[in-house]
Amino acid sequence: MIQLLNTVLIGITAGGIYSLMAISMVLVWRSTRVINFAQAGMALLSTYFGYEAMVRLDSFWIALPVAMLGGALFAALIEVVFMRLLVKHSSSGPIASVAPIIATLGLLGVIRAVVSMIWGAQDVRIVGPLSNDGFSVGGETLVFSPLKLLILISVMVLMLLLSLLFQKTNIGLALRASAYAPEIARLSGVKVDLVRTMGWALAGAAGAVAGMFQTVNGNGNLSPDSIEFSLLLVSGFIAAVIGGLESLVGAVIGGLLLGILISFVLMYISSALFFIAPFLILLVVLFIRPQGIIGAKAGRRA
Amino acid sequence: MHKRENSSHLIPFIIGGVILYFLSGMVDELRVYQGASIAVYVVAISSIILLTGYSGQVSLGNGALMAVGAYAAAVSHISWHLPIVVCFFIAVIAAALGGALLGAAAARLSGPYLAGTTLALAIGLPSLANQFSILGGEQGLLFDVGFPPLSLGEEFTQYKWFFWIAALATLIMMWLLQNILRSRYGRTWRAGRGNEVAAQLSGINTARSKILAFTLSAGLAGLAGAMLSMTIGTVSPSAFPLALSFSLLTGAVLSGVTTLSGVMIGAVTLVAIPEVADVVAHNLGTSESVTTNLPGLMVSALLILTVLFVPNGPVEQHRARTAKKLAAQSNK
Repeated sequence: MIQLLNTVLIGITAGGIYSLMAISMVLVWRSTRVINFAQAGMALLSTYFGYEAMVRLDSFWIALPVAMLGGALFAALIEVVFMRLLVKHSSSGPIASVAPIIATLGLLGVIRAVVSMIWGAQDVRIVGPLSNDGFSVGGETLVFSPLKLLILISVMVLMLLLSLLFQKTNIGLALRASAYAPEIARLSGVKVDLVRTMGWALAGAAGAVAGMFQTVNGNGNLSPDSIEFSLLLVSGFIAAVIGGLESLVGAVIGGLLLGILISFVLMYISSALFFIAPFLILLVVLFIRPQGIIGAKAGRRA
Repeated sequence: MHKRENSSHLIPFIIGGVILYFLSGMVDELRVYQGASIAVYVVAISSIILLTGYSGQVSLGNGALMAVGAYAAAVSHISWHLPIVVCFFIAVIAAALGGALLGAAAARLSGPYLAGTTLALAIGLPSLANQFSILGGEQGLLFDVGFPPLSLGEEFTQYKWFFWIAALATLIMMWLLQNILRSRYGRTWRAGRGNEVAAQLSGINTARSKILAFTLSAGLAGLAGAMLSMTIGTVSPSAFPLALSFSLLTGAVLSGVTTLSGVMIGAVTLVAIPEVADVVAHNLGTSESVTTNLPGLMVSALLILTVLFVPNGPVEQHRARTAKKLAAQSNK
C-alpha cells in the first residue's frame, strides 16, 4: 500500500516537472507553430543562470527568478534573431516543412556545446530551498517531501497564472489571436511579431522553472551532458503531445499522467526501462489517440 | 518501357572503384582510415537523404538503427563465426526489420511528431544494450573482422583492409540505391513528398510507400552501423550517442537532402570537422572544455547555417543558379 502511494507520489512530482516543460513547448507551438526541440537546451542554460545567481547570492528564492528572467530574455532573443531569419529564408522549397525542426535541433546542439564550453563538464550543485526528506505518516516514511510539495504547488500556480493571462487579459487575447489567425490579428492592430516574441519569452521562463526544479529534485547536480535534460526534452514533448499540444491544462494533465505512468512502469515492470519507457508510452498514445487526450479533432498530420 | 531509364549506370561506379583502389595505395594510414570513415558516413547520410529528401520525413532514429545493425553484425559474428559478408547482410536485415516496425508507426505521423518520436527512440534504445548480457553492457562487444588475407601481401595494413571492405560495400549500396531512386519507387516517394493528397489521387498508397522508405533507409543505416563498428573494432552504446544522429542530419542537410549527388560533401565535411576543430583549438590555445566541445559546436552551427542560407544544399543551389543564368542568357 505504502509502495503504491509512493509510486504515485514520485510520478506526480516528476510529472509536474514534465508539465512545466510541456507548458513551455505548448506556448511556443501556440505562438509560432513550431515544436521547439531546443527547449531543453534553453532550460539547461537558464538553470546555469540560476546557478550563477545561487553562487553569488546564496538563495534559491533569488536564483529562481533570475533563471526565469534569463530564460525569458534568451528565448525572446532566439525568436527575434533566429526564428524570424528562419521564416524569411526557408519558408518555401522542398524542405520548408522540416526546416524548423532541423533548425531547432541545431540550436539545441549549439546551446549544449556553448554551455559545456563555458561551465565545463564538471558537475555543479544547486541546493534546493526545502528539505527533500520524506514526510512521516504514522511511522512510515513517504517519498513525498516538502520540496516535492513545493514543486507541485508551483506548477499549479504557474498554470493558473498563465491560464488567467490567456483567458482574461488583452495580452492573452492577442496571443491567442496571433496563433489562430495571424493575418486577421495583424489587420486588427495586433503587433503579431511582438506577441510571438512574448510567447517565446513566457516559454523560456517556464522552461527555466522546469530546469531548476528538475535539478533540485534529482541529486542537485547539474552538468551540460546530463541525461536528465535529454529526458526532460523527450518527456516534455510527450506530455505536450498527450495533452494535445494546444492547451495549457492539457499539458499539465499530460505531464502528470506521463510521470505517473513512467513511475508505475519502473516500479512494477522493470527499472531497466527507464530510458525506453517514454518512447513506448508515446507510441501507445499516438496509436490510440493521435489527437491527444485533450486535443483538437484533427489528426497529427499538420 | 523507357529504354533510357533502364540503363543502370554501372560504369561510373566501377570507374570510381578502380580510382579508389589505386588511391588507397598512395595515401598514408590516417587518410586510409578517414577514407573508411567517409564510406561509413556516405551510407549513413544516404539513409537520411532517402528518408528526409525523398519521402519528406525527419527521423533522428538513424543512430539507433545503426546500433541495431552494428549489434546484429557483432552478435552473429561472435556467436556463429559467420563470414563478414554474411554479418553485413544480417546487419542490413535486422535494421530493416526495426525500420519497418518504426515505419509502421511513423506512417501515421508526420513532421514534428515523427522527429519527437524518433528522438525518444534515439535516447532510449542504446541504453537498452546495458540490460542484456549477450550485448556486453557498457563495455560492448568486440567486432573483429580479422586480418587481411595473406595473398594481398605482407605490406597490406589492417586499415587498408577496412577501407577496401567499406568502400566496396558503399559502392555496391550506392549503385543499388541510385537505381531504386530512379525506379517507380523513387518516383512514388517524390510524389508523396510533393503533395500527399495528389499522390493518393494518382493511386499511390502513401502509407505503404512511407513504410518502404523507412525500411530501406533503416537497412542502409544498419549497414553503416556495421561498417562503423568494424572500423573501431567494438560495438558499445557509447558509439551511438544522440550526437551521432545530429551529425548525420548535418551531413544530410549539407549534402542537400533532395539529391544523392552531393552526399560526398556531407561525408567529407563530417570527417574533416574533428581535424579542423583540432587545428583551430591548437592555434587559439583554448582551454580543454572548449577543445572537446568545438567539433560538436561546429556540427550544430553548420546545421543551422545551412538550413538558413542554403536550405536545399550547395548542389541544388548551384544547379538553380546556373539554370537561372542560362535562362537569362537565352532571353537576351
